[in-house]
Amino acid sequence: MEIFLDGLQVLMQWQNFLIIPVGLALGIVVGAIPGLTSDLGIILCIPLTYGMDPTMAILMLLAIYCGGTYGGSITAILINTPGTSANAATLFDGYPMTKNGLAYKALSMALFASTVGGLISGFALLFLAPQIAKVTLLFGPAEYFSLAVFGLSIIAGVSNNSIFKGLIGASIGIFISTIGMDSISGTTRFTFGNINLMSGINLIIALIGLFAISEIMMKSQYNPKTDQKTISSSSITKCKITKDEYKRCAKPIGIGSLIGCIIGATPGTGGGLAAFISYNQAKQSSKHPETFGKGEIEGVAASESANNGACGATMIPMLTLGVPGDGATAILMGAFMIHGMVPGPLLFRDQGNILYAIMIGFIIINIFMYLIGSVFTKFYAHITRIPYEILACVVLTFCTAGAYSTSNSIYDVYIIIIVGIIAYFLRRMDFQLVPVLLGIVLGPLAETNFRRALILSDGSLNIFITRPISLAFIVIAVASIVLFSIRNKKANSRVHN
Amino acid sequence: MKIKYNNNIISGIVFLTVSVILFILIPSQIQTMETSSINAQTMPTVAIIGMLLFSIGLLFQGIFTSEKKQVIINKQFFKSESFRKEMKSVLYAIMLLVYIVLFTYAGFLVANTLLVISILLYYGARKWYYYAIPLSMVVVVYYIFKVLLYVSLP
Repeated sequence: MEIFLDGLQVLMQWQNFLIIPVGLALGIVVGAIPGLTSDLGIILCIPLTYGMDPTMAILMLLAIYCGGTYGGSITAILINTPGTSANAATLFDGYPMTKNGLAYKALSMALFASTVGGLISGFALLFLAPQIAKVTLLFGPAEYFSLAVFGLSIIAGVSNNSIFKGLIGASIGIFISTIGMDSISGTTRFTFGNINLMSGINLIIALIGLFAISEIMMKSQYNPKTDQKTISSSSITKCKITKDEYKRCAKPIGIGSLIGCIIGATPGTGGGLAAFISYNQAKQSSKHPETFGKGEIEGVAASESANNGACGATMIPMLTLGVPGDGATAILMGAFMIHGMVPGPLLFRDQGNILYAIMIGFIIINIFMYLIGSVFTKFYAHITRIPYEILACVVLTFCTAGAYSTSNSIYDVYIIIIVGIIAYFLRRMDFQLVPVLLGIVLGPLAETNFRRALILSDGSLNIFITRPISLAFIVIAVASIVLFSIRNKKANSRVHN
Repeated sequence: MKIKYNNNIISGIVFLTVSVILFILIPSQIQTMETSSINAQTMPTVAIIGMLLFSIGLLFQGIFTSEKKQVIINKQFFKSESFRKEMKSVLYAIMLLVYIVLFTYAGFLVANTLLVISILLYYGARKWYYYAIPLSMVVVVYYIFKVLLYVSLP
């Protein structure tokens, strides 16, 4: 308790409360630009923190991290392009809500769910960090593989019209994820001798191509004279979240935040996977799963609470064990070291007061995020009033600049256009893009851990069913596929009748 | 000429062809030295065989169970509204492909300026500010990336 109060004392300085909004604003802007991630925002701002005291510096970087994770939802909802990979699941229902004229409502729910997810994650970080770290230590390659299989089982849920199309999409995604150098043997795969493809296809690049470029191409038949909708300024912010919707979203947000905490605390996973699993869970337990994917507010709530729920949790293995949970926390770990703090068990003993100041500060960051977000959500919602011709040009400009900046390579610009044209063909053929995305996100996690697990078990597949956590994930995945198949069959027979 | 088709038949044929080509390419594109049965070739092979089998399934679904559209290919077809709409999409795709060539040789500023103008002309935009806003955004983005983010766009 004494160390907690010491931490509070370190935190209660006006400079800290000034730097948090600055970091959040930077994070939201960086997160909202497709191609730029909170990782890049943190890297760019580390040099600015050299002169700051450790608490202030880490709080600023954490604010960029949280703001970036929330900021990515803005473009996912408004222009069908997730700003970061963590927000990919938000567009399933966020963009349909925008199309239905409910952009403000979707943005408000994304902010609310992100804040709640972030707060729960912050409290988990503050009070349960050592306990959660112990659980995640039980995860080996077999558990990671089963977790990826569980994630892939979502395909059954999102392939309402044709399971074959969903499975082809997943195969395409997994194939794309294997392009480049194999991380285990160093063998090059489908690079066609091109050195630029050796590092594979970056997830953000694939996301921009899949969603942003294909969306722009889908509007190639748009006619400004007949298709342009006139939306009045007042009607945009009229659609507020109702009490009933808050009530309905309470469960998905609560469960999503917990999923975010658990998945986020597992090194090597991250907010994107947490959001997918949370979305799947919300759809499965919903009384009206058929509305998911068509603008269901619970879908936005589930995915946004999970990805922000993962933010604080990714810090748990980093702070307690010295193992970064994802790319952003690896960079943050570097920032901790720059400021004289070495993450790991000794950090709690040696610099406990600063650490508690940072952990309490994380909760304050999420409260500030809600306040700042509430003010700006009204402005973001007005983006839907911009004539489509202008919006398409601006989005393309940001996408190409963002794609180039990920690795300073023109090849990434080629890839977004080529992936975009392929994704356009898929959409015209009534394919869902979600299975492709799932394949790209979960393919590497599944492949690497499958091979590692088999090395550990001398080639025996029993390792996946003899380890209890792994078996549990496989059972849930199978149950989820069966449940979705029955539901889809019922829904299809209802349509035919 | 009469053609009966649906999306399942078209996509089934396309992905069946793609998966066969990729399958043939596996030995030349993944030359692994590993001796174990699970190696660098395993996952791509599983994905490609999966694509092949599911494409066959989709093709059968398209031929035997899904409803088909009928198109008569004659002079009238090439003048129809639906054909013209499809050609608009092809034109848009060509614009994007020309853009990536321009991006390589002329750089971000020139390529994006020309892309913005072509898109606005494509949609028939006539108001001056429809051109002014996105063109100024191209310049703003160029400077934000170059000056603030230290990304030297080509």
